[in-house]
Amino acid sequence: MGYVAVTAGEEIIERAEQLFEKQRLDEDEELAVGQIDGQLGRLTGQAMSEGGLYAPRLAALAVKQAQGDTVEAAFLLRAYRSTLERFDESTTVEPSEMIASRRVSPAFKDVPGGQILGATKDYTQRLLDFDLFDGDTTDPTADWDIDDEGEPEELTNVTELLREEGLLHAPEEATVDEPTDTTRESVTHPPARDAVLQELARGETGAVTALGYSALRGYGQVHPTLAEVRVGRLPVRIDHPYTGEAVTVTHTEVTESEAVVPVYEKRADPQFAFGYGLTFGRNERKAIGMTVLDASIQLDSEAEPAENPEFVLDTIDGMDSFGFIEHLKLPHYVTFQSILDRIRSIRERQRAGDESKVRADEQPAEPPTQGASDDD
Amino acid sequence: MTDHTTTDDAPSDDRSFDDSAPDGGMPVSTASVDAALESLDDDGLTGYNYAYLDEHTKREVRRSMLKAVAIPGHQVPYASRPMPLARGWGTGGIQASLSLLGPEDRFKVIDQGADESVNAANIRRLAETTAEVETTTDTTDADLIQSRHRIPEEVLTAGQRLVLQVPITDALRKVDPSDAANRRRHAHKNYGKMWVHLYENVVEYGEINIASRYPTMVAGRYLMDPSPIPRWDVPKLDDADHLTVLAAGREARIYAVPPHTAVEPLAFEDRDFTVERFPEQACHACGSTDTYLVEVSEESADEDGFETRYACNDSSFCRKRRENPELPKDHHLDREGVDWGPETPDGDASTAQRGGSE
Repeated sequence: MGYVAVTAGEEIIERAEQLFEKQRLDEDEELAVGQIDGQLGRLTGQAMSEGGLYAPRLAALAVKQAQGDTVEAAFLLRAYRSTLERFDESTTVEPSEMIASRRVSPAFKDVPGGQILGATKDYTQRLLDFDLFDGDTTDPTADWDIDDEGEPEELTNVTELLREEGLLHAPEEATVDEPTDTTRESVTHPPARDAVLQELARGETGAVTALGYSALRGYGQVHPTLAEVRVGRLPVRIDHPYTGEAVTVTHTEVTESEAVVPVYEKRADPQFAFGYGLTFGRNERKAIGMTVLDASIQLDSEAEPAENPEFVLDTIDGMDSFGFIEHLKLPHYVTFQSILDRIRSIRERQRAGDESKVRADEQPAEPPTQGASDDD
Repeated sequence: MTDHTTTDDAPSDDRSFDDSAPDGGMPVSTASVDAALESLDDDGLTGYNYAYLDEHTKREVRRSMLKAVAIPGHQVPYASRPMPLARGWGTGGIQASLSLLGPEDRFKVIDQGADESVNAANIRRLAETTAEVETTTDTTDADLIQSRHRIPEEVLTAGQRLVLQVPITDALRKVDPSDAANRRRHAHKNYGKMWVHLYENVVEYGEINIASRYPTMVAGRYLMDPSPIPRWDVPKLDDADHLTVLAAGREARIYAVPPHTAVEPLAFEDRDFTVERFPEQACHACGSTDTYLVEVSEESADEDGFETRYACNDSSFCRKRRENPELPKDHHLDREGVDWGPETPDGDASTAQRGGSE
């Protein structure tokens, strides 16, 4: 009979979970968490970035558990993160401290510290490599002469060069001691800039890319010039609870991007506007998208989606959009019955209206909605 | 729960960064991560706080609820935590419930009128495993009821609390997507745009075409989205004996209708608020004609095509009615004729007209 479309209890839920777990198993050897962390670092990086928790091994576990669904993996990390006690805040680090494994600065041909191409597929031809079917474990860099590696040097930030010349305004001094944390305090409008940056940094990669693209595509004024795109490791430091000295507790792999935008706010003293992007893991696409959105949001306009902070922050979060989009699968028969009632009632009214109109005179029927409104 | 002590046999694939960090910082072993990973091997939710959320969070949610009670119908922002359920699936409701529940409480969860629904079972399971509460499907037996989009058919009493899950927190979202603009409208009690919307409805369709989420004034001050309960249930909020808490997880807002608060759906003098009509229909299982029904189409037994039948949406009350078809909605109270929305003895006929024919 089943008038409740989905009638079930805990047993059904457990069975559904068991079926889902079964999908992970096949004849091949089970994928180890370490392999995911090591070989599918893009996935774990994306999960950490969207989950707002830097924990490569937990992220690898989450990716495995979610069977490769990055938003689901980020969700697992966030739910776990929300149960952890936050016992300290790290001290601020300068981006110039980054030990960069890759650095490009499209703004200038030569920059202090030089361009570091690093590990990238940017210039590789996108051809399927059929050799990978059989697996290839030889290290292509085995013969490299890396004796002259030297000490990693601090890279001067390209935006510093522009600031010295007065072309780029200095960042505003922080007016609060503690940074906003949108996971502890919900966003209200207008949002503080650090809240915007936090929400963008945790934004869903696809959404950040798409909204950033919308601004470039013409739905916005921001077409930035990238001053820096860097991938590398940043130290995490806290003040030692006993000695009070700063101690490095770990490093995080991040992608950072900075851009300048020719928007002349002050006529008398034209300067570049500035956009910033930073994400956990290696995700240049998201970092650049975030940079475009940060610069766009600072224009604070309702004219274009990417420039409207409310629109961007309302739609950028993967957890929010994922949950609400997928909730449509839940039963809706109460609300649907209510909608059926409305549409039937209006149809009855219109039918009655049309009939009385035809009786009244033989004029060709007006648009039916107008006919309905005449009926009292 | 595994102790967070450093173990000697740290795994070799440990990704802790090497000691030669150029800034001379002191690396810390990742053994605590291993301990955390090991603790995940435990079954159940060992290691989580009572009722999942930590006590500070629960207190913050309760404070927001108190503020919401003090300003009926006003949306109070709170720091909605990521829950182990997807946002949009009742995370606001479960945060409110878990903040209120104590070990003495009996908890009922309904999803679209049914205790048996998968999502209701899942939420009930979370409360059972983390808050060790007793659960029930009997409305009259519950201290706290979490519901997705229904108010039960049986009258709720002063001792009971109802938590409604909320997908969209603001009735004005229909006329303006911007919360910043809508907050200003609420501050100024400026609901002109909603009135114009309703008027345009009447002009276009001859009547108001809002099905659920019907815009409702609370205590004559704030316009409230009563969550997607059917219009059938809206009059039950008016001057109720129980407290209703409306909680949204994704949108991070809590609002409330305290007991004995005036709740009035927006309508015009010549266009009454009407509830859903079920002309000539009764529940095929219990025969009720005074409850919210939903229709199901089934393959016809003797001919091709489909047959539509109606059934009570409140499955718990329907079970009771099948045993006792005459059971009134206030059977558990020591008074009779309690006003509980449509089709109850003292139900206000002008605001809860059934049929709605002219």
